[in-house]
Amino acid sequence: MKKRTGKGYIINTAVIAVIIVAFAFIKSAFGGNEQFRLIIVPSLWQCCYLIILAASLNLILGFLGQLSLGHCGFMAIGAYAAALISLAFQRAGVFTEKAGPAFVLVLIGCILAAGILAALVGLLVGIPALRLKGDYLAIITLGFGMIIVNIINNIPFAGQEGLSLGSASASLYKNGLGFGTASKVTYLWVALIVTLICLTMMFMFIRSKYGRAIKAIRDDEIAASASGINTSYYKIFTFTFSAFFAGIAGALYACANATLSTSSFAFTNGGILNSTFIVVMVVLGGMGSLTGSVVSAIVMFFVNYQIKNGLWVKSLPGFLGGIFAYPMLVYAIILIAVIMFRPRGIFGTYEFSLLNFVRDIKEHRAKKALQKAGNKEAKSND
Amino acid sequence: MKKKLACLLLAACMCLSLAACGGSGSAASATPAASDAAETPAAGGEITIGTISPNTGSLAAYGSAVTTAVDLAVEEINAAGGINGSQVKIVNADDQFDPTECLNAFNSLVSQGIGLIIGSVTSGCTSAITDAANEEQVCLLTPSATADSITTVDDYVFRACYADSFQGAIAAAYAKQSGYTEVGVVYCAADTYSKGLYDSFNTACEKYGVTVKAVESTASLDVQDYTNQFASMVKAGVEFVYAPYYYDVIGPYIVTQARAAGYKGIIMGADGYDSTPDYVVDGADLSVFNDVYWTNHYDPADTSDKVQSFVKAYEAKFGATPNAISALAYDAVYMYKQAIEKAASTDATAVRDALADTSAVYTGVTGTFSLDASGTPTKGASIISFTSEGTTVTTKLVDVVKELPQA
Repeated sequence: MKKRTGKGYIINTAVIAVIIVAFAFIKSAFGGNEQFRLIIVPSLWQCCYLIILAASLNLILGFLGQLSLGHCGFMAIGAYAAALISLAFQRAGVFTEKAGPAFVLVLIGCILAAGILAALVGLLVGIPALRLKGDYLAIITLGFGMIIVNIINNIPFAGQEGLSLGSASASLYKNGLGFGTASKVTYLWVALIVTLICLTMMFMFIRSKYGRAIKAIRDDEIAASASGINTSYYKIFTFTFSAFFAGIAGALYACANATLSTSSFAFTNGGILNSTFIVVMVVLGGMGSLTGSVVSAIVMFFVNYQIKNGLWVKSLPGFLGGIFAYPMLVYAIILIAVIMFRPRGIFGTYEFSLLNFVRDIKEHRAKKALQKAGNKEAKSND
Repeated sequence: MKKKLACLLLAACMCLSLAACGGSGSAASATPAASDAAETPAAGGEITIGTISPNTGSLAAYGSAVTTAVDLAVEEINAAGGINGSQVKIVNADDQFDPTECLNAFNSLVSQGIGLIIGSVTSGCTSAITDAANEEQVCLLTPSATADSITTVDDYVFRACYADSFQGAIAAAYAKQSGYTEVGVVYCAADTYSKGLYDSFNTACEKYGVTVKAVESTASLDVQDYTNQFASMVKAGVEFVYAPYYYDVIGPYIVTQARAAGYKGIIMGADGYDSTPDYVVDGADLSVFNDVYWTNHYDPADTSDKVQSFVKAYEAKFGATPNAISALAYDAVYMYKQAIEKAASTDATAVRDALADTSAVYTGVTGTFSLDASGTPTKGASIISFTSEGTTVTTKLVDVVKELPQA
């Protein structure tokens, strides 16, 4: 078993290395290409933070089995923390332009600090909130998301001062870690590597003693605590762990957007980025499947982006084009379809793995064949 | 399985029928003109202008205001022979009143090779793309983003409207002129537009010797309960409250709830109040809308030829009175036309240089103006009030302010 896990790590590392090398080639070949610069790279940035966000919420929702509706609150903390710290460093003169080792260090420091601050707040919120279950926890986390937005608004140096201003000199784009189109291409590796590290950490968490413990809590809390699992400890730990990654997603968001306004993190925000939408992503991908969250974050982003900006939408005949003028309707149809035909989400609890993929497919086929044979037998017996 | 399929089909039908109903509104009205423009044989090539507007989401009325007015302007220009003999084509993108989506929309337009963009409508969204416009060297002409920080000297960003520092000051001057020495403010701390107006109102109040006695804020622009805020205004005893919000909450919530909370004084707002009469609740007591004043970019009842021909053409085409956003978007198209003609090129940098010329005079629906060094027009504002007449709310021009009064 140990050997197999090691083999899995080696295969995954090799594949990731190949992808990164291939990507480096694509980047050098198409770096100057308009489409690449303006469409693909910003999309990748957005996918990265959505993936981290959805996967981290899956830890709470899918593996721990608790409904949290305030995930964007942690993201907001991360985004503002990273932005403010980067501005402070700029003022202190640590970096003057968005290049060089000093800036990269500051950037990584900001991303880490964002995660740690979000985790601290997660801990503070988690301790009282996780005494509750189900609907009550949902309400508390929902309230928390709103409180965070309010607090950030009313902090004199965060709310509106400088972080959401356009061309003005105080903006995040000019002085902080906000990336324009060109630097988004240059620092794409930051987003990709941060996402990879986060996902790896989450996978290792799920496969560890902690992961098994929280799955036991999800399945039966009383049984779990009777077998000697300290349920409150594991619950709060998972909540904090998940908030950490939400904070990191926030830091990436601040980089990708270059302006911050709390309305983007508000519960009622109409775009793709709000706490309910992240829950939808997790449910769609499959509660209890990290790879499912990754796939569904990419799918939801792609659908959202294509509906609004895809050129093919404009060439649709009038009637169909009319539907696409209302993106929410299209999400609704997709959601209804998925939940109706696959109530467990796209992946269910299945984890995609390169190592086991072939074996899993074979097993699945064998199972199907067995089922069919069983059905036939049952019919012939009638 | 069959049951599931039937359910899905029904759900799809429901969505489709909804879309079909709605489609006759903004979406359908936006498409025909664009396709007309594409079909007419172009004499000297084609000029493509991109527009970004919130076609869906809570400010969808502004989206259709922009797309319709731009279509009208483009149709007129194309019928008159285009710009320098080239036909104009419009590519529209939706930003959903969300900064992230706005940046996506902007990138998508630029990647199609579009160098002249009109947008976006709100300050919050526009501030997300100004830096990108400068970096990509793309001309950005916003019809209605009034926040001060949008335009700076020597950049690619221009606008067709006045800035908040002027708009907020007019409200303060009006308070003083009407004899109020103590005022209150209810605003949204999270929004660039609302916060910007609050700041400029506050500064101007100091200048005019008016005391801001009570300040209350809300967490977001689409909060639905303002009772507490106005209750504290009543407690502070102010008779004049400045409330810079958008129409989607003014009509259904703010005014009604303010009166219900016992506030009887004046409610003053800014250009976000435009379109409010279309968003009042049916059957509500509309007399609450008396004593609501707001500053606007133009007055549709203005008798000047320019305004009347625009209003008539718009009403004939779309069957509704154009709001200020429409008027500004219409002006923005003609500003581009003038700049392109002057630059004799559609190159973004050349057009930018033409727009940056502060001596150029633009005659538009919203007045005759030229741009200052930062790219903001210097022009007057109209102060407009609401009056209730039975089941409708109508607007009435109170005053036209060309320049700020001295302290």
